[in-house]
Amino acid sequence: MRNMLKENWRSPPVAIFVAAMLIVLIGIAVIMQTDSGYRDAREDFARSQAQLLAVSVAAAVDFDDPVAAKEAVNPLHVISSIRLAAVYDRSGRLIAGYDRAGEAVPAIEQTIASLNANLIRASAPVEMRGQRIGTAYIQLDRQPLWRRVSRYGTLAVLIAAATLIVIGLGFAQRALRTANRELGKRAEALAQANELLEEQVAQRAQAEDQLRQSQKMQALGQLTGGIAHDFNNQLTVIQGAADMLTRRDLPDAKRIRFARAIVQSANNAASLTSQLLAFARRQPLAPEWIDLNELIAEMDDLLDRTMGERIKVITDLAAPCRVEVDRAQLQSAILNIASNARDAMVDGGTLTIATRDMPNGEGRRMVGIEITDTGEGMDAETSDRIFEPFFTTKGPGHGTGLGLSQVYGFATQSGGDVTVASHPGKGTVLTLILPCVAANGEIAPREVAAELAEQPVADILVVEDNEDVGAFAEAMLAELGHRVTRASSGEEALEMCRSRSFDVVLSDVVMPGMGGLKFADALAAERPSLPVVLATGYSQEIAEAGSGGRTVVMKPYRLATLSQALASAMKSARPA
Amino acid sequence: MRPWRTLLFAAAVAAVPCAPAVAAPTDTAVKAAFLPRFARYVTWPAAAMPKGSDPFILCLVGGDPFGAALDDAVRSQSIDGRRIIVRRMDSAVGADRCQIAFVPGGKLQSPGQIMAAFGRRPVLTVTDANAGPQRGMIHFSVVDGRVRFFIDQASAARNGLTISSRLLALAIGVKQ
Repeated sequence: MRNMLKENWRSPPVAIFVAAMLIVLIGIAVIMQTDSGYRDAREDFARSQAQLLAVSVAAAVDFDDPVAAKEAVNPLHVISSIRLAAVYDRSGRLIAGYDRAGEAVPAIEQTIASLNANLIRASAPVEMRGQRIGTAYIQLDRQPLWRRVSRYGTLAVLIAAATLIVIGLGFAQRALRTANRELGKRAEALAQANELLEEQVAQRAQAEDQLRQSQKMQALGQLTGGIAHDFNNQLTVIQGAADMLTRRDLPDAKRIRFARAIVQSANNAASLTSQLLAFARRQPLAPEWIDLNELIAEMDDLLDRTMGERIKVITDLAAPCRVEVDRAQLQSAILNIASNARDAMVDGGTLTIATRDMPNGEGRRMVGIEITDTGEGMDAETSDRIFEPFFTTKGPGHGTGLGLSQVYGFATQSGGDVTVASHPGKGTVLTLILPCVAANGEIAPREVAAELAEQPVADILVVEDNEDVGAFAEAMLAELGHRVTRASSGEEALEMCRSRSFDVVLSDVVMPGMGGLKFADALAAERPSLPVVLATGYSQEIAEAGSGGRTVVMKPYRLATLSQALASAMKSARPA
Repeated sequence: MRPWRTLLFAAAVAAVPCAPAVAAPTDTAVKAAFLPRFARYVTWPAAAMPKGSDPFILCLVGGDPFGAALDDAVRSQSIDGRRIIVRRMDSAVGADRCQIAFVPGGKLQSPGQIMAAFGRRPVLTVTDANAGPQRGMIHFSVVDGRVRFFIDQASAARNGLTISSRLLALAIGVKQ
């Protein structure tokens, strides 16, 4: 390749040189041609002048009359280019003549030929009646200086131009060759660099994969570790209290205390799983239309109590907006953020809760709940991780590391987002962003849950595949005075409903075979008036598709929650 | 360089060393040389010209001051390809066929008588101031040591001769 290039680049200089030489030669030929033409014309002129002189001087020559001859020669003076004019007789003697330059005119005809050979000269025989009697000579001036200068000048310019062309093209050639070589080197270097870069990219990608994997494992470890730790704490209490309850001679007061400890621990564990589900965005939400500013204003007391005396709470509710979210989850999110703010302001400070219109939204109006503290702030590394479950900066026993995870899960599941802005020493701003709904919607009045709803005795069908849970539910409802029938699958329950009537059905959602939702739909087709209450610990179906307007009770449920849900289901089915 | 120039130069180099030293000719020799040359500048009536390729006739009437010099001069001259011959005669008798007649005068007739004898015949008469005051159509005279001549154009015209203006231009004086 390189050799071929060399061959290609080496031949042009010879061609250039030959071309330049050709140009010079052509130029010389043209100059010579022009010059020769000029010379011919001059010679013609000299010849004609000599002939004229010969004719006019003939008689004077014939009769050897120098005076008359001079008279014939002298008129030539007016022609400035004639340098010498002379007339010689038959024997070659000078009769008359002049030299413009002032030199002596040769006295003998033969001598004239020895004069400067470069001069243009012509002679003509002086004849009379067919007889030659003498010779007339005319000699012209040398070529005018300017003519010679221009001739040699043109030639010089031509040669100089040709030389310049050769030199210039030679240089260009050389530069081109150098540039070419340089380019080749660079291309090679570039290819090497590219290879290196690709290798590095591959290495980087591999490293990133490894890092991501290790981060995932770390997060998973943190999550499972956190869950195990918190659950173990609660289970320790439950187990211990249950052990104590099995003792025979236990006084009533102690038994009640242990039972309550169990209930408390179970509650704690339930809220733990609920927060986990919130982070996973898999909790069943009960969205309703809420006036955001009103909700925050109602939380005033609660916030004051939570924050303590050293922290001042200011609300700035500038953006009126209705959101469609789960009320309890929203309150929980705000409380979670506020309690984190409190922990960041150990020496007191100010918590500001403001609502702002947000620019984002793809045509939807968005509202931001800006919660600002004057606490110690966070570095970038920390603020990047605050939404990770079980990530916490607090010491053991202070917080679960799930609070802000719940906030994140709730916000994203509700079609919004949460952002954080913080600098060490400059406080933190957490903004919960939610979509607004059309302003003209109605807000449903809130029902205040009764501790234990007074209700009539009802026929209840409990559908539950888990024997323990089913037995527990049957026992609880029987305790309230209801008549309870149990089915262990959706198919069985459907069959039972065809043979006899019930007031309400309580069905688990996740069951083998026909699931709770399918069962409820099938039942609704046959017995539209029979209300169904769904119970679930977690259901992907309900989280994604909703419950179809049915009441959902979250497991683990407590007696009061269950009886209230059943009562309201029956009440709403009845009114017609 | 043109070839002819080379030749010329060579000829010059060869010729210069042996160029003869020319002795000044005598007036008589000059006149002898001039006489045949006049023929070239004069036009005769066709009838007066020699028949066919007959020679041109130069006559010396009444005397001969030239001798062999004239014969030499004539030998190298020609008029339109015709030879020139010299006839020496004592009188105008028989001079009818002359084209040019030099009339120095002699024992029998004076130049005036001879020229009178020619009358209106187309003969170019030439006289010499040395020989007497009578003038022919051309009259030699030595001025400033050189042989010159007068021309009587009127007389020539009367006799049917035309003299070229070139010759007239060389004359000391022209009678018209």
